Amino acid sequence: MKHAIRFCLAASCIVFSLPAQVTYEKLLNAASGGADWLTYSGSYRSWRYSSLDRINRQNAAKLSLEWVYQMPTTLMVETTPIVVDGVMYVSEPPSNVVALDAKTGRQYWRYHRQLPDRINVCCGQVNRGVAVLGDRVFVGTADAHLVSLDARTGAVLWDIQVADHSRGYAITGAPLIVKDMVICGIAGGEYGIRGFLDAYDAATGKRRWRFWTIPENSWAGNSWETGGGPTWLTGSFDAQQNLLIWGTGNPSPDWNGDSRPGDNLYTDSAIALDADTGKLKWYFQFIPHDVHDWDAVQIPVLVDDEWQGQPRKLIYWAHRGGFFYVLDRETGKFLLGKPFAKQTWAKGLDDSGHPILLPNTEPSPEGTYIWPGVQGATNWYSPSYNPLTKFFYLSYWENRSVYRKGEQEYSPGNRYIGSVPLIDVPGDLGHGGIRALNPKTGERIWEYKLETKPWAGVLSTAGQLVFGGSDEGYFFALDAETGKELWRQNLGGIIRANPVTYLVNGKQLVSIAAGNAIFTFSLPRPPAER
Amino acid sequence: MFPRVTALALFAGLLFAEDVRNPRTSPADVAAGAKTFHSHCSPCHGYRGEGGRGPNLAAGRFYHGSTDADLLKNISEGIPGTEMPGLFYNADRVWQVVAFIHSLSANTAKPPGDSDAGAGLFHSQGCAGCHRIRGEGGALGPDLSAIGAARSVDNLKESIVDPSAQVQPLYWTVSFEDASGKAVHGFLLNEDTYTVQLLDRAVVLHSYEKAGLKNYTIDKHSAMPSYRDKLSSQQLDDLVAYLWSQRPQ
Repeated sequence: MKHAIRFCLAASCIVFSLPAQVTYEKLLNAASGGADWLTYSGSYRSWRYSSLDRINRQNAAKLSLEWVYQMPTTLMVETTPIVVDGVMYVSEPPSNVVALDAKTGRQYWRYHRQLPDRINVCCGQVNRGVAVLGDRVFVGTADAHLVSLDARTGAVLWDIQVADHSRGYAITGAPLIVKDMVICGIAGGEYGIRGFLDAYDAATGKRRWRFWTIPENSWAGNSWETGGGPTWLTGSFDAQQNLLIWGTGNPSPDWNGDSRPGDNLYTDSAIALDADTGKLKWYFQFIPHDVHDWDAVQIPVLVDDEWQGQPRKLIYWAHRGGFFYVLDRETGKFLLGKPFAKQTWAKGLDDSGHPILLPNTEPSPEGTYIWPGVQGATNWYSPSYNPLTKFFYLSYWENRSVYRKGEQEYSPGNRYIGSVPLIDVPGDLGHGGIRALNPKTGERIWEYKLETKPWAGVLSTAGQLVFGGSDEGYFFALDAETGKELWRQNLGGIIRANPVTYLVNGKQLVSIAAGNAIFTFSLPRPPAER
Repeated sequence: MFPRVTALALFAGLLFAEDVRNPRTSPADVAAGAKTFHSHCSPCHGYRGEGGRGPNLAAGRFYHGSTDADLLKNISEGIPGTEMPGLFYNADRVWQVVAFIHSLSANTAKPPGDSDAGAGLFHSQGCAGCHRIRGEGGALGPDLSAIGAARSVDNLKESIVDPSAQVQPLYWTVSFEDASGKAVHGFLLNEDTYTVQLLDRAVVLHSYEKAGLKNYTIDKHSAMPSYRDKLSSQQLDDLVAYLWSQRPQ
């Protein structure tokens, strides 16, 4: 009986320490600021911006380590943590999830996914994060399942197959919650999949709709069936228009387009879908008939601002091919395109935003040198928009690759890429860094140059800071107005992730994954509080 | 009833048996294997199998087994504990890859030249001043203890007569003046945005903050002199024979 009483007391303690539920309304309001980090890009507008300013330009130099959480993995860590009322939900590669006390980094629970022996993921069995709605956590898996977990215990509530992993499908991106749905993209552009974007009932796991990124029979012959067009990065949501804005990936095979003549719609595109039906409202294809693997798999940044004197709903998009675009969010109309990094494949963009290709820039059997390289002038790692500076911040690369063209037949579950480029030219690896752009013109405001090419996204805050990271393992804070370095710390491992910031017990924390760990920083407490 | 898993195990056992010989070795098979190799294997093993992120496959020696059966198994299933994934193709297509890989090392027969004479040249010409073989020699240049397995004969010759043709970044030379104005030179061991680590000619390690350094330059040429005009054709063959004989023991 005594044990029973103790158990009841303990249980009631657990109940009272449960995290607050994440509602759709909270997600809608995430853009106006708050203590938590509720969704992959911080808000539906995907600014990766926080209105928190306790850490700011005046005190950032004092940032110090709060805690470290080491993951039991040697796989690449690309996760963005979600933080809800003091609980951090982190996906661990390949497809595990842990809940941590965001104050101490100590573990509450762990979900371990048992994966099949053979998994096809082109570029590492990574996972970029989870989504939370109510008291449920959602994660996509390397074997192309979508799983709902109890946020309090990690218990599986439902587990559904999104696609057949043996045919090259996988899920690497974080799901996006919209209303009572889980929006889930798919990876596999190097395996000849046919891409899609799905919506699932968050309560049951039942599929509400599917949008195929390659309409049936819309390409030559059967090439549409194996044409790629994955959706492997989390998109954005325009609640006012009820529009999902999402990027689609490369056509397959990547570097040989002979078997897929034409524009290869809707690959390499921004697509806008009705959130309730999945019906296409508009699209904008950045690169028709791509043969360089320049996915449009970046974060669509949604901003309402004046454009040429008139209020307009805009999208800012830094594309892998090296151009910064501004699109009209209501129609998809092209408004601006300007290179943000060196590119040698296009003379420019025409009035509709289509690239004007330069001659001899296609992959060739002997190899064609082109800027940007295969990994692009930017990639999946997040940009940021700061409403105070009205600057667009991004991690950029300046490098080139040797693009080769070969032959390849399709076989299910195998790579379908049409040759292999030389990604980095030996002795000429290029460099990267952080750039701030004026999104109204595409002009560069400032640059923070790195010796190497960063795989880390950026976060900006109301403290007028921009946080970023590098392959060299440095996590740093820059002045959002000038780019001046205010603080840096070597974390000892490659940073291939996006930073987040949040409050725990009134204290602002900043977290980022580096190497195989999550590092969390804060300001030292004043002596009186110690 | 014959369980499917048992049948598969038996099939795999037969397929990977030691005495299995590659049934797909025609020129057409080698060409087909090359296509698969270039699509799937080159990113790590290099376009001609010369190595990179993955080991050199052009030397005819393989760390995880050199028989046809070993190669078939390793390519089909991957190598546990390494980054080597399996290639999800039918056996015929993997055999073609095996044929192509063997073709890469078809010219790895012992080169002409007197290895013993080459050993003498290695010391008399000053090579040992910088290069180490099994613990003996200098520490500035690359260790050559297993160079014969890592490089082709042509590559060894090229490295002697034209050392700058291919230089590993580890052997680039960095030069600058430190805050006190002192000139510093050394092999660029590592650098990032803020710091540089180097080994100077006295074999001393240094690490500097880049801020405050002047005239920071990196020379990507080799610090090794060319022996193009210092060795006769016979001596070059002898030295190459000696280097070719340096293999893992």
